[in-house]
Amino acid sequence: MPTITIFKQDLEGLLAGPGEARQPITMEQLEESLMLVKGELKGQNPDTGELRIELQDSNRPDLWCCEGIARQIRVKRQGALVRYDFLTATSTSVKRLNVAHGLEKVRPYVAACTATGLRVTQEGLAQLIQTQEKIAEMFGRKRRTVSIGLYRLGAIEFPVTYDLVKPDDATFTPLGMDTDMTLGEMLLVHPKGLEFGGILAGQDRLPFLRDAKGQALSFPPIINSREVGEVRVGDDALFVEVTGTDLSMVVLTLNIFAANLADRGAVIEPIEVMYPYKTDLGEAVMTPLDLGKSRTLPVRTIEQALGQALGAHEVAKALAGYGYEVMSMGEEVTVTLPLYRQDLMHAMDVVEDVAISRGYGDFLPVMPSQFTVGGLSRIEEVSDRVRALMVGMGFQEIISNILGSPKDLRDAMRLEGTEWGELVEVDNVMSQNFSALRQWMLPSLLRVEAASSRAFYPHRMFEAGEVARPDPTQPLGSRTVAVLGGVIAHADAHFSEVHSCLDTLFYYVGQAYRLEPIQHPSFLAGRVGSIVSGGKQVGVIGELHPEVLERWQISIPAVAFEIDLTELAERS
Amino acid sequence: MDISSLIDSLHPLEVKVLSIFGANPSAVLRTEELAESTGLEPSQLSMAVEWLLAKSLLAVDSETVTPIVSLTKIGELYFEKHSPIERVLSAARDLAKNGKRLTIQDIQSREGLEPSEVSGAIGRLKKEGALLIIQGGCIESTGRPSQTAEAMRGLLQQLHGASRELQAFSEAQRQVIQDHAVKRGNAREPFRIDDRVARALKLSVVGIEAAQQLSRQGTAEEVSQLTSELLKDGSWRTKRFRKYTISLRAPRIAPGKRHPYREFLDTVKTKLVSMGFQEMRGSLVETEFWNMDALFMPQFHPARDIHDVYFVKEPTHASSIAEPFLSRVTQAHQDGGETGSTGWNYSFDAERARRLVLRSQGTAVSAHTLAAQPAVPGKYFSIARCFRYDQVDATHATDFFQVEGIVLGGDINFRTLLGLLNLFAREVAQAKEVKFLPAYFPFTEPSVELHVRHPKLGWMELGGAGLFRPEVTLPLGVTVPVIAWGLGLDRMAMVALGIHDIRELFTDNLDLIRSTRGAL
Repeated sequence: MPTITIFKQDLEGLLAGPGEARQPITMEQLEESLMLVKGELKGQNPDTGELRIELQDSNRPDLWCCEGIARQIRVKRQGALVRYDFLTATSTSVKRLNVAHGLEKVRPYVAACTATGLRVTQEGLAQLIQTQEKIAEMFGRKRRTVSIGLYRLGAIEFPVTYDLVKPDDATFTPLGMDTDMTLGEMLLVHPKGLEFGGILAGQDRLPFLRDAKGQALSFPPIINSREVGEVRVGDDALFVEVTGTDLSMVVLTLNIFAANLADRGAVIEPIEVMYPYKTDLGEAVMTPLDLGKSRTLPVRTIEQALGQALGAHEVAKALAGYGYEVMSMGEEVTVTLPLYRQDLMHAMDVVEDVAISRGYGDFLPVMPSQFTVGGLSRIEEVSDRVRALMVGMGFQEIISNILGSPKDLRDAMRLEGTEWGELVEVDNVMSQNFSALRQWMLPSLLRVEAASSRAFYPHRMFEAGEVARPDPTQPLGSRTVAVLGGVIAHADAHFSEVHSCLDTLFYYVGQAYRLEPIQHPSFLAGRVGSIVSGGKQVGVIGELHPEVLERWQISIPAVAFEIDLTELAERS
Repeated sequence: MDISSLIDSLHPLEVKVLSIFGANPSAVLRTEELAESTGLEPSQLSMAVEWLLAKSLLAVDSETVTPIVSLTKIGELYFEKHSPIERVLSAARDLAKNGKRLTIQDIQSREGLEPSEVSGAIGRLKKEGALLIIQGGCIESTGRPSQTAEAMRGLLQQLHGASRELQAFSEAQRQVIQDHAVKRGNAREPFRIDDRVARALKLSVVGIEAAQQLSRQGTAEEVSQLTSELLKDGSWRTKRFRKYTISLRAPRIAPGKRHPYREFLDTVKTKLVSMGFQEMRGSLVETEFWNMDALFMPQFHPARDIHDVYFVKEPTHASSIAEPFLSRVTQAHQDGGETGSTGWNYSFDAERARRLVLRSQGTAVSAHTLAAQPAVPGKYFSIARCFRYDQVDATHATDFFQVEGIVLGGDINFRTLLGLLNLFAREVAQAKEVKFLPAYFPFTEPSVELHVRHPKLGWMELGGAGLFRPEVTLPLGVTVPVIAWGLGLDRMAMVALGIHDIRELFTDNLDLIRSTRGAL
């Protein structure tokens, strides 16, 4: 979900169209209009007209720029999209871009066009660069799938070649440097080479874009040449290319740039890309190219999904007002997406666009009327019951993070190397403090005890919640178990005190249990028992080992128990 | 306060003192006399007297202040080991006999004295002519006596283990005592002078009245606590029960109680159940398949990045993914399969689907429910702990609750979705005004954001919802429309609990947890 910066006056200019007087828009109208683009105003500077807008839809890269937002609002105001003429224009002298052999295995696709007759303004340039960055980053998966290059057209002689060369065989001065370098050196030295070089890892030949004179344009998807690959304010003719690994995404990206530049008054001329290998669109591909396939769907489907009878006419009107081309309507509508969109996967995508175009406020909420019975899961019922009992016995409930550190969960409990110390650990650790799921509850409670020596005593605390226990017999390698842990800490804390609580708990839960002596490193030997119920070990109770208390820096005796609620719930 | 309630409120110690005066209400008694006749410990007596003075039942007739001299710990030490002045003098004399000279440092180390003690002693001895300081910082005895040393020895002996009035000493002795008495800023001295205040006390006018009434009503024994014995033998009838000062602050207790945040979540849970929702539970560890693939999030989706989700270290992969779900979801991703979708048009990685992660969204629980032949019509919810790879700060937690669920039914459509959200707004946030905004979630279409005007917080985002995409429901075997909804309640919870930092929801501060009221 990108957040972009645009300028209000630029937006107002684009709302009017090239050569027209700006169409002022109030902030109120703007916020209302942002619903059309799933945008949220995140900030504004009334002095400069700067607006920060977050766009939610990750499938609509066309909206991640001032031009796209303006276009969606304009289409709504005009009731339909004015078709871009560069798609139908036929020129006698089409410029060409030749693709070299071997690129099918490296970065197979390219699309390009020229834009003339515009004047690049400060704001326009900022938008071009921002659009280039946002699309390559978020839609182009950090340039891996799609990357974009913009050039000054004047210096370029056609045909341009999308070539494949050895790292040492091409040399130019990249943007941001002032000396010539080979492509190989750029990967090793240039900041963009270091950042994006991974995309070309393992390739012994690299993509290279040059013109008919052999002049370097760029090293896609890494960096442009400083000579021709730096667009400046005042430029009036541009060359735009998109390379990548997914042909339809490459074409869509070029279409978006073509539409954006056309909206700013540029004349777009297509370029014919000549492949030496087959592509889904053939070996000679003229770009920009409308990839929109028409889609036919019953009006009834749309009405059912929306819960509202609209009729074909209203549906068609809503879709046209959202930029669709409506080919026919009746029982069914046949529609095509505009060239800057490819996000129509399912009829439901059309349904949403109808709703957005009409406005969500147009739909009257209706309560679902079908009867259902509510209820809690068995484990939650058992958990609520024992929680109430613990509260009745004077325990304060605690809630803790489930994610903790092996140091607290295992080491501080003296469980290193024991089966009680086995943990579900995180692979991509961000902080050691949050690197393992708790395998039992007592460390969560001791965490509170350790931090609360100044809270008046006695301390009686419990937490009912989930833990994760490694278990190789499970498909997920671990089990999520609901447990109850209780800790009592005060100067005279004693086994029999916590034993009474456990005994009371089992009485009211209606289950029999007995304690069996065990060895457990977290507790004092001879003062620890395994809680056995229904022939199974369902918990542990005892006086915490002084060394455990010492490791937690707790300087008061503590006694504790923990029982497995999942086990009790499954049984009763 | 009238006399009898005044008398009722008296402490037994106060009664004892007053009754001494009872026989002779106009007597003026000194504290020593009172001590003798009441038989009270000095501390008890002084408490009772202070109370009675505060209540204006007693008055001070006269007050005499007598300075009393006693030895400090240092003084007792000097008694045992002699004072520094004597030790310095005798050390100097000893060495003079052997024809040696001593430096000040020599004395310090030889006698184990503090530098300040040595320099004080030498200063005084020099002034009295008993010592000379000569070249090289050496000292030499003149053979003359030191009056201070003499006086000090005598005083230490007289005061050892006993205190005396200052006036009992001669003028010269008093001077030595005052020079060597503990003062502010100089605690290392042998003598202490304390003021002993001797008061003569008499009854005030009210006190006379009270004492007379006390002697008239006789002294029924006052008790502070009703006991089982008093009840059994009926002797409570002859006792008086001391009245308490009930305006005092009550001692604090820590009750057993629910955690305030859990209490908030319990309320939400109860509301959802009352609206006909059945609870679902899931696993903390999930496969990417159920956490994301089943929700039609393509495997290249940015939110599936290593910087967004926690991956499990060991084992890295689940043993298998249940069929037919794996195949159907694979198809849905690749070309839409039977869902009527074009799919994402990429090659689905079944290995990736088995990768284990920490559940990053509660929707994973809903996905499992959809695959487990849910009731139709059906309403489900979960309050699921989820984990995100986030820097922890005041607004981001790495480990948090998500409240969400699904509604299945033949009558489900966009308008019933809005109706359900209206219900949530009213029931959960007590909001009457709502706004529905278009939104984007990878697994719903259409998608809605619910904004409400909360009675206290103003306009806020309460949740997100939508109709599950057919690419989600159909592969899991559900053919009716399904609403997916989620509520963002942390902000409401934080306001209810009066906290500003999300980390405090899971605080380790017992005092804070105990004292937080918690409210909805």
